[in-house]
Amino acid sequence: MKKNLTLMFLMLVMLVGFSTMSFAQEDATITVWCWDPNFNIYAMEEAADIYKDTNPDVTIDVQEVAWEDIQTRLSTSLSANQTEDLPDIVLMQDNALIKNVSSFPNAFYDLSDSNIDFDKFADFKVELTTVDGRNYGVPFDNGAAINAMRVDVLEEAGYTIEDFTDITWEEFIEKGSDVREKTGKPLLSALAGESDLLMVMLQSTGNWLFDDSGEPYITENEALKEVIRVYQELLEKKILVQVNDWDQYISSFQSGTVAGTMNGAWIIGSIVPVEEQAGDWRITNIPRFGSIEGATNYSSQGGSSWMVMASSENPEVAADFLNQTFAGSKKLYETILPSSGALATYLPAGDSEVYNEPHPYFGGQKIYSDITDFASEVPRVKYGIYNYEARDAVSTAITQIMQGQDMMDSLEEAQSTVEFQMW
Amino acid sequence: MLRTSKYLFLIIISFLSLFPLFWMFVAATNKSVDVLAGTLIPGTNLLENFKILTANTNLYRAMWNSFKYAAVTTLASLLVSSLAGYGFEIYHDRGKDFLMNILLLSMMVPFAVIMVPLYMLFGNLGLLNTTAGFALPTVSTAFLIFLFRQSSRNFPHEVIEASRLDGLSEIGIFFRMFIPIMRSTYAAAAVITFMNAWNNYLWPLIIMQKESARTMPLLISNLTAGYTIDYGVLMLAVGISILPTLIIFLALQKNFAEGVTGSAK
Amino acid sequence: MLNSTIKKIKSYKKGFSINKKHKMIGWFFVIPGALLIFSFYFYPIIRAFILSLQGGVGSNLRFAGLANYKRLLQDGLFKQSMFNVFIYLILQVPIMLSLALILAGILNDKTLKFRSFFRTAIFVPCATSLVSYAIIFRSMFALDGFVNTLLMNLNILGEPINWLGGAWTARLLIVIGLTWRWTGYNMIFYLAGLQNIDPAIYEAAKIDGASAWDRMTKITIPILKPIILLTTIMSTNGTLQIFDETQNLTSGGPANATLSVSQYIYRLSFEYVPRFGYAAAIAFVVFIIVAVLSFMQLKVGDER
Repeated sequence: MKKNLTLMFLMLVMLVGFSTMSFAQEDATITVWCWDPNFNIYAMEEAADIYKDTNPDVTIDVQEVAWEDIQTRLSTSLSANQTEDLPDIVLMQDNALIKNVSSFPNAFYDLSDSNIDFDKFADFKVELTTVDGRNYGVPFDNGAAINAMRVDVLEEAGYTIEDFTDITWEEFIEKGSDVREKTGKPLLSALAGESDLLMVMLQSTGNWLFDDSGEPYITENEALKEVIRVYQELLEKKILVQVNDWDQYISSFQSGTVAGTMNGAWIIGSIVPVEEQAGDWRITNIPRFGSIEGATNYSSQGGSSWMVMASSENPEVAADFLNQTFAGSKKLYETILPSSGALATYLPAGDSEVYNEPHPYFGGQKIYSDITDFASEVPRVKYGIYNYEARDAVSTAITQIMQGQDMMDSLEEAQSTVEFQMW
Repeated sequence: MLRTSKYLFLIIISFLSLFPLFWMFVAATNKSVDVLAGTLIPGTNLLENFKILTANTNLYRAMWNSFKYAAVTTLASLLVSSLAGYGFEIYHDRGKDFLMNILLLSMMVPFAVIMVPLYMLFGNLGLLNTTAGFALPTVSTAFLIFLFRQSSRNFPHEVIEASRLDGLSEIGIFFRMFIPIMRSTYAAAAVITFMNAWNNYLWPLIIMQKESARTMPLLISNLTAGYTIDYGVLMLAVGISILPTLIIFLALQKNFAEGVTGSAK
Repeated sequence: MLNSTIKKIKSYKKGFSINKKHKMIGWFFVIPGALLIFSFYFYPIIRAFILSLQGGVGSNLRFAGLANYKRLLQDGLFKQSMFNVFIYLILQVPIMLSLALILAGILNDKTLKFRSFFRTAIFVPCATSLVSYAIIFRSMFALDGFVNTLLMNLNILGEPINWLGGAWTARLLIVIGLTWRWTGYNMIFYLAGLQNIDPAIYEAAKIDGASAWDRMTKITIPILKPIILLTTIMSTNGTLQIFDETQNLTSGGPANATLSVSQYIYRLSFEYVPRFGYAAAIAFVVFIIVAVLSFMQLKVGDER
């Protein structure tokens, strides 16, 4: 009897001892820089709440900083070797991730060995956050491309959203012209002189502006030429109209001048505020290039991922935080979706009930599960280090081509500009 | 006839100048959707926009920070720069003329490029996130010194002689004679310096990285950085940001535009 | 007639001595300001120059001699951006400064009513944040925007102009934007300078029979000469280094037709693969050009 009591007492002591050990973390503050209060910041704060339940000693301090400002601060601090003000976690545009990791080696914390299961994320996002086989980012927001359309306008011309699903660009042009004739409305608007829409189209074919060895792939890029050809045809047939800046782009579909738009899924945030159009929108996938081998109906635009800074005082805590929330908590994704429309590329989230809710603005369509499905089909491409240089060069080429310059001349100029900048 | 054409000219120019400001105030009272649709009619969304603004950002702190840094910068730089400008002109010699020309060179290198070494320097001095860190690079600028030097060319020098005869020291002449007489230049310089300090973007972005030190331009930048921009809220923030500079201008404009001529005699 | 007036002005400068002691004291006035500039401008400028002799990406820099300078001679974007800023300089600065001078002259008339209002109105643009006026400008100059509609209604245009879509129209837009924004700023300096002119001189000149034009050219402008010199040097410097307007109004487009050198430097540092050494080299070329132009202006316009 006494022996049993002593044993039990010992076990109790051990139990208490172990449990205090597992909570014996130092007090840590993790600073996070990201932008957009309705989307990223909101998601981070929810994640902080979830993490606090199991790790009360860790404080997550979320600070709002615009993307360009983050980039300016990172570049300045890292090259001045003055990192004391840098945060622990930073949100990074996928377009810029590889460039930053390559330009500032050892500035970012390698997440490959941190228990994060990268298989649970959409393939194409993982590709964008990997440099030399090491993972540097936890993929976050979903830039999977969607084709959002005003079905009331389509109906006027005798079409439904299914008529625009899984189609080719030829079919799109055919039906688009018809809609234009019958209703007078174009189906798309895009920024003049920007290559965004073209890049969406290019990525859907599985190609990018660089080949596998990292060389600029412009003049020989048959897919690119086909993309440009289709773009021109859309413009000529007035299915696509060009606008001069971002505010005009947004207002073009908000005002109903255009009957649809193609962009990353985050564009939904600009569609929903227009109350008069509630119920008139549906989404579907984008058309594919029938003549290009390996082309798909899926692509992406924008998107960002969470990175940990090597200068952080608690990189393992930061990584653990990301692991428990963005890389492991279905509950997080379920929470943030309804209020912010924040979609993620965390595939298991797609199975949850919340993701299968019908969305009233979109006539009851289960847009979230649709978009998550789209994300899983997006072709893998490598943006490369010289991504911005190439995009700018192609934007310039497009403007020139639209002004009448010969396509090959413009593309050659673009290719040589990019080659010049790769030194 | 000349007078009416003058008025007409001024009215047209004033209209062109004020129209964007008017648009901005109208936009601040509307919902984002309406702003983009191009409405010119004031809406009823002002309170709502204000609520969203203060809920999502720390408006008061940013306004206070901007004001604090701008005020300190303005006062310090008026003193230092006018002292130097006066010195360069009134006590001119070949050496000082040469030095002035050298100092002018300092304005001619694009800031983006001196930003990194400057940041390194301030980091080493331990002045990150401090008011001194914000102000020091702009307390003495070749521009202000040059302004005061050029303006001093019209300073009636007989005043100096008379003051010396009265037994005033050189520094006394500066404080008791120069500053009051050159009120108009000081007023103009104060407005411009305050405005530039308030609107300064790049340097505060990197020297003030702590959130508690954030200034208005940065707050506004964040409002343009979302996936969906709320134009009503944005224009409200911009409108609020303009007010201090406008108030200072209104307070001082009589000074630099109505002058103190005649008192020098 | 007028000459006696001018003599009176120049007499302001007489009766004033500077001796050695004064010159020494003068240095004390000057040193605080100069020291600060040396510490916070010249020190970084020298470091930036050293940087310009280094090649490489991001934080991997190594000595490269004059390689960056040689390279920029072949850089198409650099040449384009230099061309652009010179266009702005030549077109915009003279117009803006003349306008500012005229406005200051008109507004200096104490008998004019509503002076306060006009002054404030003209000042407002330079205090207005770029963010807000960029949006308005772009929408006003859109294909279906206010300007095109107005010009077509007045029968000046048959078809709407794509302002933002054409190289020269976009540059014109930048010139308009700059003039709108900075005329008031320069006007303030002229107004302040005009306060130092004793109105008795104008009275005397009027009595002597001088016309408004004479009064402007023989009294106002000579007295304002130092300030005018200030504004031309500042405007030259500011225009060649322009960033905000070209970034926010046209984003450097279309096809880099409005791209400024500062924008290119910014891209090289923060958008593209970061090449701080190369960016520094470009900055130094700008520096040399601005310095040469400024000293030419000083030589011509500066006098005691």
